[in-house]
Amino acid sequence: MTNTKRAASAILSTLLGIAVVGAVGITLHSLSGDHRPNLVATKEADTITVDGKNYPKASLTMGVYADAEQAAADGYDFKASGNKKDYVQYGPSTHLVLPAHTYVTMTIHSYDGGEKLNNAYFGKIVGTVGGTANVDGVDVSSVAPDQVQHTFTIHGLPTTSQDPLFVNIPLQHVEEGDDGFLPTKDPGTNFKGHTVTFSFITGGKGEYVFNCEYPCGDGTYAKFGNAMSAYGYMSGKVTVA
Amino acid sequence: MSDHNDVHLEPTPGERFSKFLKRSDVRETLAWAAFYTAVFVVLGAYFYPKWMPTVMSTDMKAIERLMVVFTFISAPVCGFVMSIFTQTLRHRHKGDTPPPDGPAIRNNRLATSVFAGVSSLLCLTAIVYGLVELNSSAEAATKDAPNALVVEVTGNQWVWSFNYPSLGVESNMLNLPIDRPVIFRITSADVNHSFWPVQLGVKADANHLATTLAQTTPIKLGAIDVKCAELCGLYHAYMETSGEVMTVSDFNNWVTAQGGHSA
Repeated sequence: MTNTKRAASAILSTLLGIAVVGAVGITLHSLSGDHRPNLVATKEADTITVDGKNYPKASLTMGVYADAEQAAADGYDFKASGNKKDYVQYGPSTHLVLPAHTYVTMTIHSYDGGEKLNNAYFGKIVGTVGGTANVDGVDVSSVAPDQVQHTFTIHGLPTTSQDPLFVNIPLQHVEEGDDGFLPTKDPGTNFKGHTVTFSFITGGKGEYVFNCEYPCGDGTYAKFGNAMSAYGYMSGKVTVA
Repeated sequence: MSDHNDVHLEPTPGERFSKFLKRSDVRETLAWAAFYTAVFVVLGAYFYPKWMPTVMSTDMKAIERLMVVFTFISAPVCGFVMSIFTQTLRHRHKGDTPPPDGPAIRNNRLATSVFAGVSSLLCLTAIVYGLVELNSSAEAATKDAPNALVVEVTGNQWVWSFNYPSLGVESNMLNLPIDRPVIFRITSADVNHSFWPVQLGVKADANHLATTLAQTTPIKLGAIDVKCAELCGLYHAYMETSGEVMTVSDFNNWVTAQGGHSA
């Protein structure tokens, strides 16, 4: 074999290797992409002053549903969000988009029962304005660890390129009666679950995640199976843009 | 004259070794080995500490010292390997027909002894030094325990939480006062995690239904990155939080702001 042929073979093999590895990477990246629709916070016209600083306002509403029937009653078809399984899940999407440097008010309608948190810390409300959340019209700073159905917990990587954002909201569980879920105490809503409202202030642009800290999956992996192990059910992405 | 009078004395091992050292290829190999050893020693002494995370605790300081010493110890081994590699490349056969393999080297007691002896010495040095460092850390932990700040660390999928029982504070951030020993009581609320405050040089398993103790003393102000070092599920990659080693007054202010009481 001549030196030219030897060099050509080496270059060709290297290029072929790069092409194969690149194709595998691009395919995997494409398959792992988040194709869920964005749930974008609605910007409001007015502003609010907190600790001497003025912030624009935005709001966002979502729900957490024990099954497809509850989701349908709230007008949410979970298959439209890209989820295929009838697991407990947040909706109408789990990719939230929030404006930066904004006073964001979130409302979560929650319909599920529950047992006990693994860690009582997540029964506390953390990261909201005033350190409270409003549950059916009542301001609370915590929920008893044995009365939580799920939590809505935002966190992210501590990097120098984005502001920290940590919010933990325990969602009061729904007492189950003989005829199903009891109605909320709030006469202003028609929901048979609880309505939780809370506000927090976003920093600069960044990518965060949220997940539930109540083990609400199936019996595998310490109840962290199915909905807790699959992306987009009790977990999702929070983009501050 | 019979053949018995033709006495051919076998060279002694020393003579063979002396002759071996005079070979040009052996001298080249030794020179390369010395060069590479020097490179690794410089890397270990100068660059390696720069590439390590910031040293912010007594344990991290000990770990850095240990890594530098181990790099020194392993530098000659790595130097010889790189030297052989270099010589192999320099003197590689060119052409289509490779020459036959040389004769196998067997029963060279000197070579075997040097190899086994040097390897054993390097390993023993590493073991003894490691044990001494470990014992120093354990002694310091025992001595400092009465004054230590206890922090209960709980790993949850996929958030860390920190409870300061003596201060009445719970947080998702790990803040610590400088120059005060801290005892971490580490557990998990679900699956196995691994508590890793990088700059403090502590890494310990967080196992469900078990408590692991780890102790260190923060010695430098600054930010701490707390990571999970055990693959623990969907958002393992996001199981990180931050913290800070603070002055005592700043720490007390933080505790008060959290609704706790100063130590």
